[in-house]
Amino acid sequence: MTSSLELGPITRALMRNKLGVVLIALQIAFTMTVIVNAIDIIHDRTLKITSPTGMEEDDIFSIRSFGFDSSINAQVLIDEDLDMIRQLPGVVDASRVNAVPASGSGSSSGYAIEPGRRELTVPAAQYSVDEHALNTMGLTLVAGRDFTPEDVRRRTATETRSADQIIVSLALAEEMFPGEGLQAVGRTIYSAEDKPLRIIGIVERLQSPWPNATDWIVERSLMIPDVVIDNSSIYLVRTVPGQRDALMADVEERLAGAGYDRILMNNKSVAQMRTELYRMDTAMARVLYTVIGTLIFITALGIIGLAVFSINKRRKQIGTRRALGATRGGILRYLLVENLLISAAGVLFGAVLTIGFNIFLVRTFDIPRLDWYYAPLGMLVLLLLGQMAALGPAVNASRVAPAQAISPSH
Amino acid sequence: MLNMININKRFRTELVQTQALADFSLEVKEGEFVTVTGPSGCGKTTFLNIAGLLETFDSGQYLLDGQDVSHMNDYQRAKLRNQKIGFIFQSFNLMPDLNLFDNVDVPLRYRGMGAAERRERIERALESVGLLARKKHLPSQLSGGQQQRVAIARALVGEPRFLLADEPTGNLDSNTAAGVMELLQEINQQGTTIIMVTHDVGLASRSARNVHILDGRIQSDVINSDVINSESTAA
Amino acid sequence: MFLYYVRLSMLSYKRNPVLSTLMVLAVAVGVGAYMVIFTLNYFMGGDPIPQKSGQLFHLQLDYGNPAIPDTSNQPQMAYVDTLALLDAPFAYAHSASSKFMAVLEPSNPDLSPFFVDGRGNTADFFTMFDVPFEFGGGWDRAADDTQQQVIVLSQDLNLRLFGGENSVGRDVELQGIHFTVVGVLDYWEPAPKFFDENNGAFNRAEEAYIPWSLIVGQQLRRSGNTNCWEPPKDSSFESFLNAECAWIQFWVELPTPDDQQIYADYLASYVAQERAAGRMQIPIEKRLFNVREWMAKREVQPDETRILSALAAMLLAVCLLNTVGLLLSKFLGKAAEIGVRQALGAHKGALFRQHVIEAGFLGAIGGVLGLGVASLGLEGVKILMGGERVNNEWMHLDLTVAAITIALAVISTIIAGLYPIWRACNVNPAIHLKAE
Repeated sequence: MTSSLELGPITRALMRNKLGVVLIALQIAFTMTVIVNAIDIIHDRTLKITSPTGMEEDDIFSIRSFGFDSSINAQVLIDEDLDMIRQLPGVVDASRVNAVPASGSGSSSGYAIEPGRRELTVPAAQYSVDEHALNTMGLTLVAGRDFTPEDVRRRTATETRSADQIIVSLALAEEMFPGEGLQAVGRTIYSAEDKPLRIIGIVERLQSPWPNATDWIVERSLMIPDVVIDNSSIYLVRTVPGQRDALMADVEERLAGAGYDRILMNNKSVAQMRTELYRMDTAMARVLYTVIGTLIFITALGIIGLAVFSINKRRKQIGTRRALGATRGGILRYLLVENLLISAAGVLFGAVLTIGFNIFLVRTFDIPRLDWYYAPLGMLVLLLLGQMAALGPAVNASRVAPAQAISPSH
Repeated sequence: MLNMININKRFRTELVQTQALADFSLEVKEGEFVTVTGPSGCGKTTFLNIAGLLETFDSGQYLLDGQDVSHMNDYQRAKLRNQKIGFIFQSFNLMPDLNLFDNVDVPLRYRGMGAAERRERIERALESVGLLARKKHLPSQLSGGQQQRVAIARALVGEPRFLLADEPTGNLDSNTAAGVMELLQEINQQGTTIIMVTHDVGLASRSARNVHILDGRIQSDVINSDVINSESTAA
Repeated sequence: MFLYYVRLSMLSYKRNPVLSTLMVLAVAVGVGAYMVIFTLNYFMGGDPIPQKSGQLFHLQLDYGNPAIPDTSNQPQMAYVDTLALLDAPFAYAHSASSKFMAVLEPSNPDLSPFFVDGRGNTADFFTMFDVPFEFGGGWDRAADDTQQQVIVLSQDLNLRLFGGENSVGRDVELQGIHFTVVGVLDYWEPAPKFFDENNGAFNRAEEAYIPWSLIVGQQLRRSGNTNCWEPPKDSSFESFLNAECAWIQFWVELPTPDDQQIYADYLASYVAQERAAGRMQIPIEKRLFNVREWMAKREVQPDETRILSALAAMLLAVCLLNTVGLLLSKFLGKAAEIGVRQALGAHKGALFRQHVIEAGFLGAIGGVLGLGVASLGLEGVKILMGGERVNNEWMHLDLTVAAITIALAVISTIIAGLYPIWRACNVNPAIHLKAE
């Protein structure tokens, strides 16, 4: 078998054309380095982009209302707006919130499991909500209970917060009470002002408004039934599936027509918020896909170009081989094995470069280490790419007639 | 004019060493027309390449026009080639994408001559081979004989003292070949020294001087007095 | 001879149009892709105010709660310190500023009320940062002290409200408060937005500018980041102002190293005094950062563009390796011609020049096409990275970048060509002159 592949003669022939081999092998090595690391980055970004907020995202939108007539009774306006929205056919529920997950804007604060122990502070996103929030967001309650209307405390911006019950995300519960998980219901944590807050419920998942940030709070959130009455409101609305877009327009129109001096803004579905939030990540992934495509194209061209060149140079030799009894299959095999040897050198060097570059990325930037199978898979893909690129010229070469050995032109 | 003394030239590859020229000595005087013959691989092309400063040699001495070229660098040799030597090849070696004017222009470009003088010389050279009218044509639009005439114009445009021809008629039919030979005779009679490598024994026997090379050495050096006489009467 | 060689290069291109075009495309793609990333880095890492970036200093104080990790290294300033430093006994220009949002009710009944993204700033802001005016100008320090209701509009907002005419002296109603227009800016979108990189280093500049004292005086709705490391005593506005909360950007202009030393000493004594009073318990080494230092410290340049720089460099390397191979085929294909030229008097130097020019010629065409690739790429990135508030107008090729592109293409092609050129110059004429 080994002898029929002519590994020895092919290797010796290649050693005589060092530069061509080095050029192609280097191209393959660099291409592999870029492709494998780019795929790793894309994979990482895609995980981020697709990580769920915990909400029924497809059916939710929010709209911000900003009243600028000082004579408006904010409490009345909020109640009227929410009653109107909740009564619309197709609306599942609506709630007034201070921030929306994945919207990019909200507030956070530090919490500790003992009062006065600032060094134990765990930062978490804070959602100030009413009793409709959990249902509107469509969160999954895994322990404890939801807020009741009696839990909700209303106040003006200058009054001090009095709400003292909270619902936390499972991630926050586990962070603060390691090992307790769902048993954290009933435990108390302390705010930055050292006020006690009792956990009455745990939701499976609730992301912060900034889940795109890698160095910031992503999964640690809590909800507090604390409603600050003022003229600026964010309404969160969940609709029955398929009704969202129609209701977005309808709700805005009705709010505008309700007869108050106000500005309506940021009427956005969660999907739109996600698009904006992850714009950089999406951009990065698309740019990287473009880079990968371009590289594969360029490298394939390079392999084809040099294969054609080296085959043209050897037409006479190939003709001679044919005349001496080499079959078409034999020539084809010779050229493909030759390419395989070059590619193998390339991917071996490429594997070293790939891992080296990954170590650089991991150390310098917040990029995850490559999974073990990335480099071998990359090697395989590039070997295949090399074979595919060389196939055309090799098939052509195998069609060289034995007579070409004698004919003087070429 | 040309004086080679004990020139040795070997070619080496990993496996074989061949002696292309062995203690090769030859003197050619100004105005001579020398044909060089010999079987394939005898060293006649190597001789021509060394004579034309295209190749170096291992030992011996070569004086061209009184100058010792043995220790000249590439730049000096190129300059000497450009000024003193014209080449004519069997396959013409015109540049396929340059038109006739530009082909003839090449040696003058390397001489750094002004545009007006170049134009005048190129046109005169093309005129002398009867192809001025076609100066804008590409070589591929000409017949073999015409291409060789252009190559001769190119070789002569720099007014070299010395013309080296390597089987100039090898690719031509006998009629055309005769025309080219006539042209070369004419050039020789105007004073240019010519050394011509050829396979054509008939041509060689009709030339004023024939050098026959075998295994890198001169086997015979025959001076044909008839031709010398006719030349001297012409001159 | 140069033009002669350029003409030969053109003829040579025509002789192997496919090979030559492949090569040019490889250079164009490699250089184009590299230049897209280069442009992003060039601007993102660039100096937005080169004429005085060495004299403008951002202040950082010894903030943070020693008990809570990650509360140190606050980029902004608290209210009490801002007031104290605005009163510092120096004649240096200084600027305190912060963002606000307000409803603007246009006097033109055809326009409905809308939100404006505004900035409260002290008088020196405009002169310190060389803010260009189309009409009028800023205000003086007296206007800050007396909370005069004056406003400077951005070019866009002036266009929207007054059709772009000189609106100095006109009235603008913000949040029910009447302001008199004193100036209209010319186009001004520094990138990075160095004077407030903390609130989006590539966000758009604000649309309206008012005396900073009014933000507190009128309790306007503040926007932008607020970071507290001690909670306010209660929910009153007064408590918030006095709390350990940073939300103000403070800059000072210090023309000479002596000035910088004087100011640094003053800051050190101020901090020492506050530390004695129980504040500022996390000491820092450096409190004054010039524009470049501040942009570097705040890592304004995103990781993405830095990663892409490395990837783009490798892409360029692959393209150039390709070019080496293609040039080699091309030049060795001309061996016969090179032999003839040598016979006709070309020395190696002449051949070297001819082929360097040929490589450079191909590189130049690649560079011109690369400009196209780069501007297409930048358009793509612009679309990908665009957003409502993002200023991406700087993402274009300017003359410098265009010149660098062509130069990079020419130089890198010549470098890629060095080996092929060396081979071409060393063709043995004797071998190639003989008929096949």
